[in-house]
Amino acid sequence: MKKILLAFALFSIFNFQFSISEAQNAKMPQNITLKTIDGQNVQSSVIQNDGKPVIISFWATWCKPCNRELNNIKEVYEEWQEETGVKLVAISIDDARSAARVKPHAEGNDWPYEIYLDQNSDLKRVMGVVNVPHTFILNGEGEIVWQHTGYQDGGEEEVIEKVRELLK
Amino acid sequence: MNRLKLIMTALLIGGATTASAQGIMGGHVTGNVQVDGQMSHADSTIGSQDVPEKLLMNARADILYTNGDFSAGLRFEMYEKPLLGFDAQYEGEGLANYFVSYNGERLSVTAGNFYEQFGSGMILRTYEDRYLGLDNSIRGLNVTLRPIDGITIKGVIGKERTYWFYSEGLVRGVDGEVNLGSLIKSLGESKFRVTLGAGFVSKYETDEVIPSSADPEYKLNLPLNVGASSVRADLGYGNWSLQAEYAYKGQDPNTINGYIYRPGQGLLLNLNYSQRGFSAGIQAKRIDNMGFKADRSQSGEMLYINYLPAITKNHTYAFLSMYPYATQVNGEQGLQGDVMYKFKKGTFLGGEYGTDLHLNSSVVYGLDTTVTGGAGTDGYEVNSGLGQLLYGDVSVEVAKKLSKAVKVTATYAYQVFNPVVENEPGSLHHNNIVVADVAWKVNKKHSLRFEAEWMGSDSHYDADDPEHNDRRAGDWVMGLVEWNIGTHWFVSASDQYAYNDGIGNYYNLSVGYTHGATRLQVGYGKQREGLLCIGGVCRVVPASNGLTFSLTTSF
Repeated sequence: MKKILLAFALFSIFNFQFSISEAQNAKMPQNITLKTIDGQNVQSSVIQNDGKPVIISFWATWCKPCNRELNNIKEVYEEWQEETGVKLVAISIDDARSAARVKPHAEGNDWPYEIYLDQNSDLKRVMGVVNVPHTFILNGEGEIVWQHTGYQDGGEEEVIEKVRELLK
Repeated sequence: MNRLKLIMTALLIGGATTASAQGIMGGHVTGNVQVDGQMSHADSTIGSQDVPEKLLMNARADILYTNGDFSAGLRFEMYEKPLLGFDAQYEGEGLANYFVSYNGERLSVTAGNFYEQFGSGMILRTYEDRYLGLDNSIRGLNVTLRPIDGITIKGVIGKERTYWFYSEGLVRGVDGEVNLGSLIKSLGESKFRVTLGAGFVSKYETDEVIPSSADPEYKLNLPLNVGASSVRADLGYGNWSLQAEYAYKGQDPNTINGYIYRPGQGLLLNLNYSQRGFSAGIQAKRIDNMGFKADRSQSGEMLYINYLPAITKNHTYAFLSMYPYATQVNGEQGLQGDVMYKFKKGTFLGGEYGTDLHLNSSVVYGLDTTVTGGAGTDGYEVNSGLGQLLYGDVSVEVAKKLSKAVKVTATYAYQVFNPVVENEPGSLHHNNIVVADVAWKVNKKHSLRFEAEWMGSDSHYDADDPEHNDRRAGDWVMGLVEWNIGTHWFVSASDQYAYNDGIGNYYNLSVGYTHGATRLQVGYGKQREGLLCIGGVCRVVPASNGLTFSLTTSF
């Protein structure tokens, strides 16, 4: 009995995952409290780009692939912005152990991104992120149109391709 | 009862599916699913055991329904049986977590399970770490008010989760934070940034019988209400920033501190300077009797109300994190320094693509104490000096892009580790560690990563000597190759081998497939027994030998 119910539950989840892709896209959550790198509370609704696409990247100072991704995108970020007007918003999930290092880490790496702290993973949780890095693309209306977990060298090509598709 | 929960879960998930597919409710359903499985066989060289069930499995699904400012969520968890290293009390399945929530611009209310943090968490932090098997969410009510821009007021009440149950103790708290720059216009326009905050947490728990150490005929007069408060400031001026938090906890005799009545104190300081391409920072921390639990009689990692992260850097290379530092909640004092510098392109050390330099060092001591009594007394007095050395490390990392396709990262670290951190006997270990990490982007589709690590240690392995039966002892070498194919596939192979004074040969093979937000990873090999630590909180992972798999998906 238990097994049947469990199988049903799991089946429902997968079934539902396919059905949702046909439905309208979910909006990025608006009223989650984040901190700026200067320690000020802001609501997640600050993440927007005047009707142009936004890339949201969840990362942490201790996460090697996250750092590779953000460093590699830095090399091409200016070109991306000129071509598509896209903006990258990097959300750190560092907790009290390393949260104070987020600003120095980002500036030490010379990252040109908008950065927020999600110290207790509130935004991470509502956006369903399991592991970092996890990347989302929002369209001009703030709807989540694509997401990807993990980073492998060259993965940024796929990200900008998806952004370009949005602008077609 | 379990069956009822299961039926409810199935119906809720099934119901949500139908609702979403038909679009009746107009909202959105998002969430994630994770399934982890493990098989293990006995191997005397690494100390792994046979698993009688053959297959161990953890599974969970988080489902969140959002409609405008309203949301509702639930989490189904299953541990049949729990993976090695997870507490046996997790065994079972059911709805572990549920809530309804309103998130407006000025007001947020959550009823049900919630995660909250006051300041850095020194007096309250409920959080979840699925890899540590740790969840101390409070089931109750959480209200956040933002009456005007720059002011945040939070209130919480409820009981804390422990495995499938909830604490005896009731946790209540309030916290306020003011950003002065938002309130005072001239300050907001200046180079100064000032955020101030304060919080108070109280725990209520019924009485119980704990004998006094002075005379076991008498029972301790336990405080039923235990209070903790903290004040904090986050200050900035131009490129400088300073964060400070001080916490004080009233009399809280409990299992962790041996039922002493000494008040607890904690201090955390962070001073940082940063500009483009350069940053430097120093962190200082001192805690004295700050273990604060929802149930006074519980030991272990569950039921903490507060969060006391380790002060040391969170290292990620295998040998650098082989001896991780774990926070000593009863008392520790330490410093960490960190410097990052980028040698610019075109300079002598920068070369064609620039060079990154990263230095880090930390040192942690215990408190120097004089014991004055046992359970029922103040326990000890703290002297002005340093206690015993618990941990120290210094690391230098240089990262350099040699060409468009090749990047090399070289790391050297020296580490001193005191086994007392893990409540083990033995003398200090001194380790030298070298890591070389080469990433090579072969072409548009393929990339390779090689990692070579070496660790030389003054410790040795001897199965019959309790002071030297740690399987991490000795000198080690490691090699790793990772092959990425496009953005979907990866294959990796690694081996760690104790070549001198040690024992063990840990090989691992894994294959992973990622498509969008879905990832499947299958591995085969040997896993070392040891501490898995995240943020200074650790769990013991026994050795294992066999197949593992992990599936995660977000939607």
